[in-house]
Amino acid sequence: MALEKELATYKSKLPELKDSEGKFVLIHGDQVVDVYTSYEDAIKEGYAKFKLEPFLVKQIHCVEQVQFISRFADPCIPVR
Amino acid sequence: MPYFNLQLTPNQGLVANAIIAVSHARRVALTALQQPVPNAISVRLLVDTGASHTCIDPSVLQSLGLTPTGIATVNTPTTGTQPQNQDQYDISLLIPGSHPTHFPLVVPNIPVICAQFLQAQGFHGLLGRDVLSRCILIYNGPAGMFTVAY
Repeated sequence: MALEKELATYKSKLPELKDSEGKFVLIHGDQVVDVYTSYEDAIKEGYAKFKLEPFLVKQIHCVEQVQFISRFADPCIPVR
Repeated sequence: MPYFNLQLTPNQGLVANAIIAVSHARRVALTALQQPVPNAISVRLLVDTGASHTCIDPSVLQSLGLTPTGIATVNTPTTGTQPQNQDQYDISLLIPGSHPTHFPLVVPNIPVICAQFLQAQGFHGLLGRDVLSRCILIYNGPAGMFTVAY
């Protein structure tokens, strides 16, 4: 899976981010860049700052939200 | 309120044709870097109230040259009891209205989950409740039609 470093940063910083529950955090490597009200704002800022370098946009949830897909579909390997 | 009104397909039910492209944000970045913007792709999406999130087959995402910008925790019939982390990709989505004067359903920046085996089932993705939450969905079984208003 890609973005493992960014995911580790998210998990380690989650206690500091919990006041922003439901908002969207932008993470690059081990750096939390900022928190945004909408996904749209976060993804725009990610591309504006980091262009095509890896970055993570994730909605902040103290308890991780699980996405349910009832159809037969498999999580897939990275497409690159 | 614009809408699209489509026939139910005998085997698959609620299937809509859509156009998927790189997200608006990624398009701006590619253009600034003077890199080519991949062509948009026509796809078939199953309107799926059983999917909490929109999912796209990896073949489509690969054609758009995308890299992940998110991670979702996903539970499907194949993951068993243990949800799995899965890459998310940002795309733009357009579904035409029923009439040329209708505005299409457009989402310029939306995260989607990469999910395999969808193309083998006759479509390229699932239009999930993250998009449907902005819409009114009417399933008219006797008429063999469904309507999505947005």
